[in-house]
Amino acid sequence: MNTWRIAIKNLSRQKKRSFLLGSAIAFGVLIITLINGFTGSFVENVGENFAHIFAGHIFIDGVEKTPTGKTLYIVRNDNELIQAIEDLEIEYSFLTRHSEFSGTLIFEGESVRQSIIGIDWEDEQYFTGRLILKDGSFENMQNPRSVILSDKIADKLKLQVGDRMLVQLRTYTGQQNVGEFTLAAIILDPGLVGSISGYANKTYVNELLNLAPDEYMTLGLYLPSMDDIDPTAEALYRRLAEDVDLFAREGEEDEVNPFMAIMQQIEEEEWEGLRYRLYTLNDMLSEVEQIVVVLNTAGLIILLILFIIIMVGITNTFRMVMFERIREIGTMRALGIQKGGIRRLFLTEALWIGLGGALAGLAAAALVMVILSQIFWGLDSPIFILLKNGYMTFRLSFLQTAANLGLVAVLTLLAAFFPADKAAKLQPAVALRTQK
Amino acid sequence: MRLFKPLTVLFFLTAACLSAQPDFKAMLREIDELGSFGEEDFSCVYTIVADKPGEEQEITQARMFRRDRTDQFLILILKPEVQKGQGYLQVDENVWFYDPESRKFSHSSLKENIQNSDAKNADLDETSLAEDYDVIAWEEGTLGSFNVYILTLKALNDEVTYPKLRLWIRKDQAIVLKTEDYSLSDRLMRTSYYPKYIQVGAKLLPSQMLIVDELREGERTQITMRDATTAVLPDVVFTKAYLERVNN
Repeated sequence: MNTWRIAIKNLSRQKKRSFLLGSAIAFGVLIITLINGFTGSFVENVGENFAHIFAGHIFIDGVEKTPTGKTLYIVRNDNELIQAIEDLEIEYSFLTRHSEFSGTLIFEGESVRQSIIGIDWEDEQYFTGRLILKDGSFENMQNPRSVILSDKIADKLKLQVGDRMLVQLRTYTGQQNVGEFTLAAIILDPGLVGSISGYANKTYVNELLNLAPDEYMTLGLYLPSMDDIDPTAEALYRRLAEDVDLFAREGEEDEVNPFMAIMQQIEEEEWEGLRYRLYTLNDMLSEVEQIVVVLNTAGLIILLILFIIIMVGITNTFRMVMFERIREIGTMRALGIQKGGIRRLFLTEALWIGLGGALAGLAAAALVMVILSQIFWGLDSPIFILLKNGYMTFRLSFLQTAANLGLVAVLTLLAAFFPADKAAKLQPAVALRTQK
Repeated sequence: MRLFKPLTVLFFLTAACLSAQPDFKAMLREIDELGSFGEEDFSCVYTIVADKPGEEQEITQARMFRRDRTDQFLILILKPEVQKGQGYLQVDENVWFYDPESRKFSHSSLKENIQNSDAKNADLDETSLAEDYDVIAWEEGTLGSFNVYILTLKALNDEVTYPKLRLWIRKDQAIVLKTEDYSLSDRLMRTSYYPKYIQVGAKLLPSQMLIVDELREGERTQITMRDATTAVLPDVVFTKAYLERVNN
C-alpha cells in the first residue's frame, strides 16, 4: 500500500513530466480506440446499407443447364422455395422476386454498361425509402418503361429526368435485344464498393429478358436483423436440400473470397438440369470483413510504433529519474528497503502513468466518438455507405479494449523495467556518495 | 361462269409463282457449306479496324485458326501491343478468353465482341443459317449491280445471337452481300456488307466486311482477311496450353 502511495507522491513531484508521459500514452490509446470503434461498426453499417441497396439478406438464384450446355438464370416456379420458407416459419420483413440484367445504355452517342434490376414497385414500396433521390420522382415509375439511375451514370451520359435512352442487352437465353427507357429519377451512388444498379419495372425488365411475367431470377429475403442471416441461411439450405438440387455453400478451401467461390461453382462444376444457389449478404461482405481485419491490423501496428517511441521516452525518463533520486535511493536502501522494494516502486510509478494515460486516452476517445456520432454527415456524403442513416457510429469490443489496456500496461512496465532494475541494484554506499 | 375464268387465271398464276420460288433452305445450306471447311483446317490473319466518333481509330490484328469438323477455333490477338497474346478459344461448347497479363482463362461466348469492335467471334466462325433459321419472307431486288434475293429469316431457337436476320443473296451464286441483324424487339442493330470474296481451296470466304452499328451513330468496323490457307494445323493449336505457351 505504501509503495502505491509513495509512487503517486513521486509522480506528483514532477507533475509536468508525468503529465507529458501520460499524454503520449493517452494519444496512442485514443488513436487505437477510435480505429477499433470505427471498424467495430463498419461491417454492420456497410451490411445494412448494402441490404437496403440489394433489398435482401438471403438470396436464392435459379440456374438451369440446357441440353446444349448453356447456363440460364431463371426461377420458373418457386413453390418449393416458398414452401421451405413457410415450413421453417422464417420471419422476414420483405420477400422480393427480382430479375436483373447487365446491359449498355445508349444516349446521344454515349454509352455505358449498367446493371438494371427489375422491381415490382407496387409490392415493394419500401424500396423507394432505401434510395436517396437527387432529382425526379419515384412517382414517374408508373410509366412502365421508366428507369432510375445513379448520379454517376446520369452525368456520364449527360442525362436529365425525362430523357429517353436505348438499352442493349441479352435475353436470358443470350439473344440480342434492344429496349427503350425513360429516366424517371436520379439517385445518389454511395460509391466505395463499386457502382450501384439502376432500377426499372420488373414487367418491362422481364419483357426485355424474354421472361414470362411470373418468372424471375433471384428470390430475396429481408430479415428483421442481420444477426439472423447465418442461422436462417443454414436452416433454409438444409430444408431446401431435401427437395431441390443446390450448389454447395462453401467453395474450395484455398479460395480467398468465399462469395466468388460460390459464384464460380456454376462454371467449374459438372451438373445438369435445375439447381439453386443460396448465398447471403455476409458472403458478399466477406471482402468488407477483410477490410476490417486490415484496418484493425493497421491500427495495431500504429499502436505498436507509437508505443515503441513512447517506451524509449519512458526508459529515458526513468533513467533520468533514477539519477535525480540516486541519493534518495541510497538512503532508502540504507534504511533497509530491499532491492525488490526499489524496483517495485519504479514499476508502480510506470504502471500509474501507463494506466492513467490509457484511461485518459479512453475518456478522450469516448468524447471524440460522442461528438462525431452527433454530427449528421448527410445522406449524400461520400462516406454514406459507412454511416448509419447519415450518422457515424462506433462499437467497441470489451475484450479488444481490455487487450489494448493490457498491452499498454505490459509495454510501459517493460520500458521502465531496465532503469528500475538498475536503481534496485545500486549499492547504498555508492548511491549515497554520488554527487549530482 | 363469268367468275370462273379470272379465278382459274389467278390460280395458275399463283401456282406458277409458287413453283418459281427457289428452294431457300437449300440456298442457306449452300451458303453454310461455302463458308465451312469440313475436313480441312483453315487459318488466316484478320485486321479489324473499329471507328467510333470522338475516339481514335482502333486497329486489331488477329490470327484465326479454325477446325470446323470438331467445332474448334482459336483467335490469337497480334496487335495492338497491349492486347498481344490475348485469345479466344472454342473447346466443345465453351469459348474461353485468355488474358496473358493475369494468366487466367475466363468464360466468353461466340456472342462476345472482339476487343472493342462491333465484330463478334461468331462473325469469323462458320455459319449454320439453315439449321438455326427459317425463311419467313422473301423478295427480289438489286444491290449495286447485282440481282439479289432479299430473305427475312426467323430463328428456330432462342439461343442464336440475333432472332431475326435479313440477307441479300446474289441470284447467280449463293453469296451473301449484305445482312441486317435485328433484336428480339425487332429493332435493327447491325448492318454488315460483304463486298469482296476470295476463293480458299474449294470454299468462298468474304475477304472484306463492313459492319455498321445501327444503335450508335457513326460506329463502324471494317474487317479484312489475308494469308488465308487450308494447311493442316497441329492439334495442339486448339488447346489452352498453346495459348499459354505462345505467350511465354
